[in-house]
Amino acid sequence: MDIKITEAAKSFKNRSGKVLEIIKDLNLEIKSGSVLKIEGASGSGKTTLMNVISGLISPDKGKVEIGGVDISLLSESEKDRFRAENIGYIFQTFNLLSPFSAIENVYAPAAFSGKLKPGYKEKALEILKSVGLEGFEKSMPYHLSVGQRQRVAVARVLFSENKIILADEPTASLDKVSSKAVFDSLMKCREFGATIIFASHDETFKELSPDQVLSLDKGGAA
Amino acid sequence: MKSTFIFKAVLHNIRHRLVSFVISVFAIGVAFTFLSGVGVVSFGIAATAVNTSLRYPLVVGPEGSSDTQLVMSSIFNIDKPYGTLDYSVYEELLRDERVTAAYPLARSDSYRGAPIVGVNSSFVRDLSRAYYLYEEGFDGQNPLPENDLHRAVSGYKIAERFNMQIGDKFVGSHGHVGDSHAHVHDDFEYRVAAILEPVNGPEDYSIFTHYKAVWAVHDDHSCDHHHHGDDHKHDHETLTAVLVRTVNPVATAQLEGEYSAKPGSTAADVGRTVRRLVEYMNKAEQAAGFFSYGTLFIVLMMVFVTVLMSVNERKKEMALMRTLGIGRGAISLTVMIETMLITVSGIVAGLIAGHIALYFAKPVIDMNLGIDLEPFLFTAIEVQGVFITLIFGQILALAAMFRIYSMNLIEEVSRD
Repeated sequence: MDIKITEAAKSFKNRSGKVLEIIKDLNLEIKSGSVLKIEGASGSGKTTLMNVISGLISPDKGKVEIGGVDISLLSESEKDRFRAENIGYIFQTFNLLSPFSAIENVYAPAAFSGKLKPGYKEKALEILKSVGLEGFEKSMPYHLSVGQRQRVAVARVLFSENKIILADEPTASLDKVSSKAVFDSLMKCREFGATIIFASHDETFKELSPDQVLSLDKGGAA
Repeated sequence: MKSTFIFKAVLHNIRHRLVSFVISVFAIGVAFTFLSGVGVVSFGIAATAVNTSLRYPLVVGPEGSSDTQLVMSSIFNIDKPYGTLDYSVYEELLRDERVTAAYPLARSDSYRGAPIVGVNSSFVRDLSRAYYLYEEGFDGQNPLPENDLHRAVSGYKIAERFNMQIGDKFVGSHGHVGDSHAHVHDDFEYRVAAILEPVNGPEDYSIFTHYKAVWAVHDDHSCDHHHHGDDHKHDHETLTAVLVRTVNPVATAQLEGEYSAKPGSTAADVGRTVRRLVEYMNKAEQAAGFFSYGTLFIVLMMVFVTVLMSVNERKKEMALMRTLGIGRGAISLTVMIETMLITVSGIVAGLIAGHIALYFAKPVIDMNLGIDLEPFLFTAIEVQGVFITLIFGQILALAAMFRIYSMNLIEEVSRD
């Protein structure tokens, strides 16, 4: 799925009422199956850009087209459906839903959108095994280590076979072994043709060899 | 599967706020327990009152008695009789062609709190011809013969409560429960000759003896030195009331007017008095209902606030759900189900607790109010309460749902 961002801008008011321009007149094209690395200091707008791409927040102006569809024109429920079908998210922390076990977290998005296919449990088990979490399928999030939780989040992306993967500092709180496991999983996603947009300071990710690098400083694209 | 996930999320949220869930359910439950008690007891009193009023349309009693006191003391055996009525009034009523039946009542003594009521055989025959137990040679046509004044016929419930057997002997206490002048008539023994089958009325909690036995007890035992008030004179050949059945309602009204105007007597239209009592009770029921609804309103507001607080606590998780493509509808639904679950659990728990409490309290309530309580009867006030609570709960749930629906979770979390 190609992603095209045209003249996008997004600003927020902080608690004291001051307007902060996070994204300013951004133009960007990402080809289907390519890898985009977003660079920038903390507060430069990396997360905001990912939220804009996923349709979680709408740009104040400009448009975001994914696969030819202007997502800002979609209704909230259409955006939800679109996200559930196409976009996988991996955050630095807090990736799992606490009411559900590891395996349930893997297929939760599909379950909530009523799109589970026969054999889903076997598939989820297989994926958990592939990310090194065999035997942890029934563990609740609060019984897993930070690294294990990140791997469950990656397993969820692998299960959903999302066409676009947004990874926001996915290995920032992980040790080297866990970071490698997450990286390997993202490589698998690349193998099945997913577009990967990531922000990371982790050296391991250098091997992902991005097709594009977007540098953001405060207020817009550098 | 979607519904399983939503339900699982709801259960998880409840488990994580178990204390507030239990308190909310308990508070709603208490309000419903109260509502059940009010409904069932009011219904029991009203049903008994109406049934009894159909049996005896008129009561004639001593002058100075109020309608309510006369009806309560002579029909429900609750209040104390005001004084005494000359026996000649009963004889006069028997002779009146507008009267189809008249039954003398002489109340004064009690046995372990149960009233001993002096009546005659025709009263007992009219009340019931079905006996649970009776002694050998007992004649159902003449259950209280004048030549055996020690004989007593017990109501079913009181015999059951005190484990009375045929042939058991007992003595009455003069006066009523809590009366400072009460004393035992140990010189006059009664013998249980028969136990009636239940009649589902205040009579189940009474012991019947011949009215002349009441006279005999107080002839033998001079009351003059006991400093009773005016309402406890036990002159020879007096009654406390006469229950009257008439040819028609016009005759009832005429007799009521006549006997109220006569010196020494007064009369009460039982139907009208009972209707007034029932109206009072309905008002009391409504007042109790309002109290319950007030409590429910406060509790439901508390539930609403705690649900909203939990929403704020879970904003981050809800935001994560949105990023995973889980719709606002599904997220809001979890909050709505949670609110509804609290409401429904409270209603069910309260109704069950209320009716079980009534089941255990039944003997005490029945005996004190002279009614036959149906502890598992589901009354109109409860149905009304369930509907109001469900509707109000639903409105609160929708308000909570709307709050979630209108929240931009991602921006809220970003701001935090």
